Amino acid sequence: MVTSTSAVGRLLPAISSLLRPPPADELREYGGIGLVRRKRVIDVGCGDGRMALGCAPYASEVFGVDPDPSAIRLARAKARERGVTNTQFKVGVAQELPFADEHFDVVILSWTL
Amino acid sequence: MVDALKEARRILRPRGLLIDARPDSRVFAYAERQTSTGAYRRAGAIATSREEHTNDRRSDDSVATAVRNGWFRSLRASRFWHRVLFEDRPAMQGYLDDHVRFVHRVRWTIDPTKRRRWENDPWAIRRAVRYELFERI
Repeated sequence: MVTSTSAVGRLLPAISSLLRPPPADELREYGGIGLVRRKRVIDVGCGDGRMALGCAPYASEVFGVDPDPSAIRLARAKARERGVTNTQFKVGVAQELPFADEHFDVVILSWTL
Repeated sequence: MVDALKEARRILRPRGLLIDARPDSRVFAYAERQTSTGAYRRAGAIATSREEHTNDRRSDDSVATAVRNGWFRSLRASRFWHRVLFEDRPAMQGYLDDHVRFVHRVRWTIDPTKRRRWENDPWAIRRAVRYELFERI
């Protein structure tokens, strides 16, 4: 599998999502979009929203949580740019997630543990 | 990390899905040169830094603890590969110099003459990603 980005290692080393697989490729490896279709999904350690926004077209609701406020700002900006309405991003840590018990169908820890 | 898995279990419904994906430090990454046909040819191996090996083992231990505690059941585990692309070899080396995950020196399997000749060709680091799907118990 090959990432579709080009020369990003030189140009944008700090934007980690550009150095990782496209979310569609990653989802396909895990088993396909059926894993998240019409599901409540949370991406813990979401960074700039790469996987969360990749799941958004299929999931009923997506949350992204990351301790880095600048990453969350970037994720929110990307969501606005793309017109994504079923996804929210929050600053937070994996050890203390601001959600009720048994709220989600899918938890994604991608490059998080 | 165990705390994070415990929290993940708390917010997951019973039989919900946990996906854990991480770089796979059990295998080498590879430095590859793109040929004129567009194909990639392996030119060297890149090891994971000792510190990251240690971190990965800690993550493994946390996952094992979560399974042993009966929080999750493993459904499937596998690995896939992806390439990070660079416009030339110095760009790739610059990435390695800055990156904490990998050691900074490539173990070359091509001689220095070829490295110099192919310096300005496109290069890539092909790296493994391991993942495991778990069901919340």
